[in-house]
Formats: sequence, C-alpha cells, structure tokens
Amino acid sequence: MIEFTNATVVYPGGLKALDDVTVTIEPGEFVVVVGLSGAGKSTMLRAVNGFVPIVGGSVKVLDQEVRGASNKDLRGLRSNIGMIFQTFNLVNRARVMNNVLMGRLAQVPRWRSTLGMWPEDDKELALQALERVDIIEKAYIRASDLSGGQQQRVGIARALAQDPKILLADEPVASLDPVTSHMVMRDLQRINRDLGITTLINLHFLDLARAYGKRLIGLRDGKLVYDGDIADVSDEVFRDIYGRAITPDDLLET
Amino acid sequence: MTDSTELWTKDDTGPVIRPDEPRWPKIIRWIAVIVIIGPLIWGLLGLEISADNLRRAPGQMWNLVQQVWPPDFSETGRTFEKILESLYVAWIATIIGATLSFPLGFLAATNIAPRSVTLPVRSLLSGIRAFPELVLAIMLIPAFGLGPFPGALAIGIHSIGTLGKLTSEVIEGVDEGPIEAIRASGGTRMQAMQFGVVPQAMPNVLAYWLYRFEINIRASAVLGVIGAGGIGDEIYSRFLFVPDRSKGFAALLVMIATVLVIDAISASVRRRIITGQPSRSMMARLMQRLFAKKRPAETSS
Amino acid sequence: MTAIDAAAPVSGVRPQEPTSSFRFVVGAIVMGVGAAIVGAATLGIGWLWGAATAGVVYGVLWWLGLARSPIDAGIMVIAGAVSGQWFVAVLDGRAGPVDIAETTPAALGFVVFGAAVAWALRHRLTVAAAALVTVSWAAAVALPTQYGVGLGILADLGRRELREGVLQVLGSSFFTMVPLLAVLFAGSLTVALATKRAAPASVGLAVVMSVISFNMIEFSVVELFTQASQIGDLAKEFWPPTWTWPKTIGQEPTNVIIDPFIETLQIAVVGATLGCLMALPLAFMAARPTTPDEPTYWGAKSFMNVIRTIPDLFWAIIFTAAVGFNAFAGALAMVFFSLAIMSKLLSETVDSIELGPLEAARATGSRHAQVIQYAALPQVLPNYVAYALYIFELNVRASVVIGIVGAGGIGRLLNEQRNFFQWDRVMAIVIVIFVTVILIEMVSILIRRRLV
Repeated sequence: MIEFTNATVVYPGGLKALDDVTVTIEPGEFVVVVGLSGAGKSTMLRAVNGFVPIVGGSVKVLDQEVRGASNKDLRGLRSNIGMIFQTFNLVNRARVMNNVLMGRLAQVPRWRSTLGMWPEDDKELALQALERVDIIEKAYIRASDLSGGQQQRVGIARALAQDPKILLADEPVASLDPVTSHMVMRDLQRINRDLGITTLINLHFLDLARAYGKRLIGLRDGKLVYDGDIADVSDEVFRDIYGRAITPDDLLET
Repeated sequence: MTDSTELWTKDDTGPVIRPDEPRWPKIIRWIAVIVIIGPLIWGLLGLEISADNLRRAPGQMWNLVQQVWPPDFSETGRTFEKILESLYVAWIATIIGATLSFPLGFLAATNIAPRSVTLPVRSLLSGIRAFPELVLAIMLIPAFGLGPFPGALAIGIHSIGTLGKLTSEVIEGVDEGPIEAIRASGGTRMQAMQFGVVPQAMPNVLAYWLYRFEINIRASAVLGVIGAGGIGDEIYSRFLFVPDRSKGFAALLVMIATVLVIDAISASVRRRIITGQPSRSMMARLMQRLFAKKRPAETSS
Repeated sequence: MTAIDAAAPVSGVRPQEPTSSFRFVVGAIVMGVGAAIVGAATLGIGWLWGAATAGVVYGVLWWLGLARSPIDAGIMVIAGAVSGQWFVAVLDGRAGPVDIAETTPAALGFVVFGAAVAWALRHRLTVAAAALVTVSWAAAVALPTQYGVGLGILADLGRRELREGVLQVLGSSFFTMVPLLAVLFAGSLTVALATKRAAPASVGLAVVMSVISFNMIEFSVVELFTQASQIGDLAKEFWPPTWTWPKTIGQEPTNVIIDPFIETLQIAVVGATLGCLMALPLAFMAARPTTPDEPTYWGAKSFMNVIRTIPDLFWAIIFTAAVGFNAFAGALAMVFFSLAIMSKLLSETVDSIELGPLEAARATGSRHAQVIQYAALPQVLPNYVAYALYIFELNVRASVVIGIVGAGGIGRLLNEQRNFFQWDRVMAIVIVIFVTVILIEMVSILIRRRLV
C-alpha cells in the first residue's frame, strides 16, 4: 500500500530530512511514527502525499509512484489520502459543513464546486463523516465557534469525507489537552478498525504511542532506527530513537 | 460513491438528530448577487454600452496601440522638466497639508479636545475632503491664474482634509498612560501634548505625510490637464493630437517609471520610520556594511 | 541642593548622553542658514567666502560634538578658502550663462573641502563613508550651481554677468542660495554618516527640497494674501449659483445637471463592480500564498504596480483616445482605476491569511482554483466587501473628475461651463458634487460599521 524504498528528501537549503528510508506499510495497518522534533516524522508523512520533494529512491503509494508524479496524478492520489493536522487547518470563517465538504472537492465537477451546488450524495457523505466523529449537531456552526477538540474532530471528518484509503495524521493531538487527546486517538483507532483505513500517525508522546499503536516506526535525524511491533519496544529502543533517556516531557500523563 | 455510503455503519454513534440546514446563507447569497448585478445592469443600460460598442472596442484599442508604439522618447528632457515641476507642486502641497493639518489633527482628536471643538473641526476636515483636488483647482485658477501655484494650493488644501483626519486617528490611538503620568506630576496640558502625545504619534504621522506625498505626486500630475502646471498637460495635449501620441505615451512611461522609483523609496523610508528598523533590502544591507562599520566609542566600559 | 544624597555610592560609569535628533536638526538648519548669511556677506570674494563657510560648518560639527581639534579647524578653513577661491575664479572667467562645462570644474574645488571635512571626522567614518563625504561636497555645490540657474530667482542669474567687480543684488542671492542648498545637503549628509543616523540627512534633504520647490513654482505668500483680499469680487461671479440653463442656445432653461449626474453615478457603479470582480483573480495571482507559480506571481505583481501608478484622469485620457469622448471611455477608465486599487489592497490581505487551510485543501486533492475558492476566499471575504465599498466611494469622486477630459458625466459639464467662464453654473455643479461626495461617504461609513 505504501512503499518507501531508499527514499530521501532534501529541502531547499540542503537539510536532509529523510535519509535512505525503506519501509512497507500494508493495507489496514495502524502505524505510529515517533522521533524528536526535526527527526523527519512530518516529512515522512508529507512524502506520502507528495507535499515534499523526494530526491532519491522511491515512494510508491496505492501503486502510484509519488516521485516525479504529474500534478494531475498527485491530485488523484491525494484525493485518496486524508490528512489531519496539528493545527486543524479549518477555514475558521466557514461553517463546519463547508469545511467537511472540502474533502469532496476532488470528486465533484468543476462547475458544481464553483457555484457551491453540491450533489446530495456528497452532502450525505459529509454528514455521515460528521456523525462518525460524533459532532453532527454542530454541522451548520462556524468552525471558529468550536473548541480545539471539536475542531480536530471536524478535521477528521473532512478527511473521512474524502472516503480515503489512507489516513495521515500529523501530530493530531499536539494542540489538545490530555482528555481530548485520548478522545481523538480513540476516534482514529475506531476509524482504522471499523473502516479498515490504513493509518499513519505522527506522535510526540510515547505513552500515547504505546496505548494506541500496533506498529511503531522510529526516526532519528531522518534515518529509520526502529520498525516493529509496539509491544516489543523497550525503554532501550526509545533511548535509541530519542538519543537520550525518557523524560516526563515525552509523556502525556506523568 | 454509492458503495461508500453503505460502507459506514452507524452502529456506535447514537441516534443523534441531524440539524436542518439553515436557510439564511442561501438568502444572503441571492441578495448579494442581486445587489451586485442589479446596479451593474442599471449602469450598463444607462451608459448605452451596446454590443456594437464592445465589439469595436478591441479594434479601437489596437489602433491606439499602433499609434503609440513605438514610444517617441525624443523629448524626454522636457518630460523630466515637467515631472520635476509636478514633484515640486506635490512637495509644497504636502508641506502645506502637513503643517496645517498637524494642529487641526489635535483639535479633532476626541481624547485631547472637548467635543465642542472636535465637532466643528471634524466637519471642516470632511468638508475639505469632499472637494476633489481638480474641482478645488478649477475654483482657484480664476483667482490665481494658470500655473503651478493654484495647483499646489488646491492639493495642499485637500491634503489638510485627509491628513487632518489621519492625524486625529493616530492621536486618538496613543496610549493614555504617559499623558496621565505627566498631568499627575503637575505638567500642563501643553507639556502633556509635547512629551506624552507627540513622541507616540510622530512616527505614524510622519509616515502618513510621506504617503500623502506619493498620492500628491499623482494628483499634481493630473492637475496639469486643467493648466495647473506639471506633466499632466504634456500627456493630455499629446494624446489629443494623433501624430503626437507616441510622444505622449513616452511621457506617460517616463512618469510611470519615476513614480515607481519614488514609491519604492518612500515605502522603504516609511517602513523604517514605523518599525524603527533599517530596511532589510539588499541595497540597505550593502549601505550598512559600507558606511556603518564602527560606532563612536560611546560605550566606554 | 537636591533630594538625592550626593554621597550615595556610585556604581558603574554613567553612559554618555547620545546627541538628540533635535540637536542634529537645529545643527543642520544653523549650518545652512549660516552659510547663506556668509555667502551674502562676503559677496563672492572667493577665499573669504570659502573660509567663513568652513568656519560655520566646523562650528556646527563642534557643537554636535563630532569634531574637537583646533588643528582640524585650521585645515578646514584653509581648504574652504582654497575651494571658494577656485569656485569664484572659474566662474568669473565665463562669458555666457553658466553651463555644465563651467559648473563641474568650478565645483571640483570643493573636493578639497570635502576631504578636509572627512579628515576632521576621520575617527567616525569608514573609508567608503569618507569617500562619500568628500564627493558629496563637490556634488552638492555643483547641483545648485548648475540647476540653481534654473531656479526661480536664480533663473535670471545664469544670463547675467557675475564678473563685473561689484556683484549685483542678484549675484549676492546666488551666493546665498548656492551655499544654503549645498551646505544643507552635504552638511546634513556628512553629519548623518558621522553619527550613523538617518534623521539629519532626511531633514537636510527635506529642507533643500522645500527651498527648491517654493522657488520653482514661484510660490509666494504675498501673492496668496493679495489675491485672497480680492476674493470678494470673484465671489460675486460664483454666487448665487445658477441651477438651470438652456441646453442649447434659444431653448428654455431646464435643469441640465440631472442627466450627466446620473451618468456619473452609472460610470462609478459599472467601474467599481467590474473592477472589483476583475481584481479577484489578479489579487490571488499576486499574493504569495495563492499564486500558482513564480512567473505568474511576478507578472501579476508588476502589472499591479504599474497600473497603480496611473492616476484616474490618465486612464480617462487613454480610453478617450481609444474609444472616443463618451461615457464608455469613462467606464473603462474606472474599471482600471478600481482594478488597480482593489488588487493591491486585496493581495496584501491575502498575503497575511492563514496557510493551514490552504494546505488542508491541497491535501484533499483539490484543484488550485478550488483551493483558492474554498480555503482562501472565505478568509478575505469581509475585507473584500469593505474594500469594495471604499472603492465605490473613490469611484464616485473619480468619475466626477474624469469628465473633464471628455469621458462623460458631470465632469464634462463642469469643464464646458468653466471654459465659457460661467462661474455661477460652475458653482451649481460644484455644490452637487460636494453634496454627492458627502452623502456617499456617510452611507459607506454606515454600511461598513454594520459589517464590522
């Protein structure tokens, strides 16, 4: 489903954010990526939907080579990949429903999206997505009037409305308090389990990774340092990933 | 997308009732469309802009392009003289506007002057603003004769109106704390102005003066058309006479270039005044390196 | 003596008080005016003029705390005498008007003086700054000498004899203006470089610009007041306004203001609406977050900046030249006028929008236009509406004036009546314009207050 083969990402300016990474992710997996900030977690996720320039090796997603793909191919690929952001990235001034409908943009004819005349099917998908994250009653409220946790759930609904095959979550709980964090993580876990969507999550907190992950990928300085079952991960492994002992800062609840 | 709707079962989400889609956004959208389209159609019909008109327009534009191209730069020297004259007019107008609007700005600020003063001063300022420069100049030319003098007066008077308003807004925005502190330590009203208000307001006011200068350059260029000196007459009369249009176009190009350069300089100075930081442009950094290597030994440690 | 105990322990060295900007400004003005007085007093006796000017310049530098050596003062005075003598000697020999061939060598002498100034300030200047100071003195003398001959009172000077032993009043004014402008400019630049502050140079430049400007357009306060005293006579011609007059000779007087007035409003509406709509794509192309690619960005931005420099009336000139003297030309002019302002305002707003929603929209596989419509446009929509109202307001004002070059509307009527010196009718039109502008502004303020 997602195949990194010796993938290397270099940013303009020479920073090597991903260095010779080879990983294969099977359909339906729930994978957690951990590492220090700057270790290349975000870059790894963004390589999947072609947001960062891949300069070496290959990244194959849904049998489509991301490196060097045309804009049209990339758009087609992205329409199958939902993405969830640390800062939610909702259009604050727009209503929740319109934010979720953004997930359908790639599927509707151009004239319909221009005039804002959405097909009933797409509206239905958006409403179902909102129901799945349990926020349907807020459908016609401005996004800015929601709390942080609610906003993130709208963000998830937007990704779900795409009817995606892959879900990328870039530090989805980093801006949330512990209780809301757990709720959002449970939502993501449930979506993975019920809908079988391959999920790739970046996390900073180790305890969250342990609580919800199945498979763990550890990155350090852009290099793959661990890839395996999360149950086998010892403190030694974490030390290897982080380059230091675990501190309370690395845990959500101490 | 028919498959996917079945794919998502709603088992674990409770029976939450879906809210109705509100109607008002759609109504607002239609009102907006009517408010935009209605007057537009009224205007287009009233101006008798016919299909014929529109059909001929591109051809006519092309004719104009052929007339002005290539631009004839043979009289650029004279153009520069006229542009300089426009600059002089703009500068004097800015000085008139700045010096007279400054006290008026204080009198129009509600946090400085009593209501009995601000009200008449404000109406005076907005009254002045309601006269376009060109109309003012038309009224002044019979009194002062043709030439740059009435032009400078007209633009200057208009600048009093705009600058006075902006100055009063800046003054109303100052932090009241220092004023109270000065009054509390026994300072007079004037001292409170001088040490409490002016230092706070000055950078923004200065920036507005410079910005007004940029606007006044355009205004003084325009005033030439009615005989108030400067580049306007040059361009206008050249465009009236078809064989001369390439010269007029050349003059227009020179004017655009000059205005662009002055705008750029003025904008970087304004940024410098407001932020207090030197500009970060390449030129500015080069100047910094060349001329500001050592500071005088003020910091004797 | 004071409330603070003098015997209290002093910790640390007190920092030296930096010279205030006020002091620089006063210094610059003293320097310029002083040099002007010296110029007038010495009546062009070269060495005396130069030496005395040098004294003034050194005095101000000393007062500002920039130069403190008597030896440097001596050097500057000697250099000044040499430069001044050189200047007068070269100009004395000429026969006709002063031209560039004489100005340049005459002013070159002041390189010596500039070098002396740079030497006196050697501890405060970099090599490049010292070079600039040296050259600036010569250039600052050269410019008013050359272009000074084109300056108002100085205009005649170029054609007059300077040499004949005793200098005329005009001659002394030449020696007043040239040092005033030159010393103000070069002196304030020197001080600015020596203190690393922009204020002195800015003030110097501003004063120089003002002196030149007032001269060039022959702005005279005396004339202002003499003319103002006669305004009563003129007012009789303007007042009372005449509201109706025959359309053509021989017809009944009718109200002929209404139709052109409505035409003006129509021009404003059409121009504002079409201009604001056309500005949408342009503004998004010329803003960093929403531009499709680099060439489009620079292209759109340059186009925007160029059309912004063309004033409303010039658009009207261009379009009347193309499509004839009618309201259609006026509407076209207003479209471009509105486009220029709106695209500038809007693109600056777009530059500061949140980027997250754009990224999120791109991540769903949306096309570029969809990303803009759904993620960028909602963020700037309230601003856009406010700007549109403001532009409509501007359009009403502008569509009044563009008629003056024949682009339709009430402006055309105004120009016609002006050309026939029908001041009472002009007055009527002006009153209509005045009331309209005030009304539109009030309505616009009301709506905008509602929006916020």
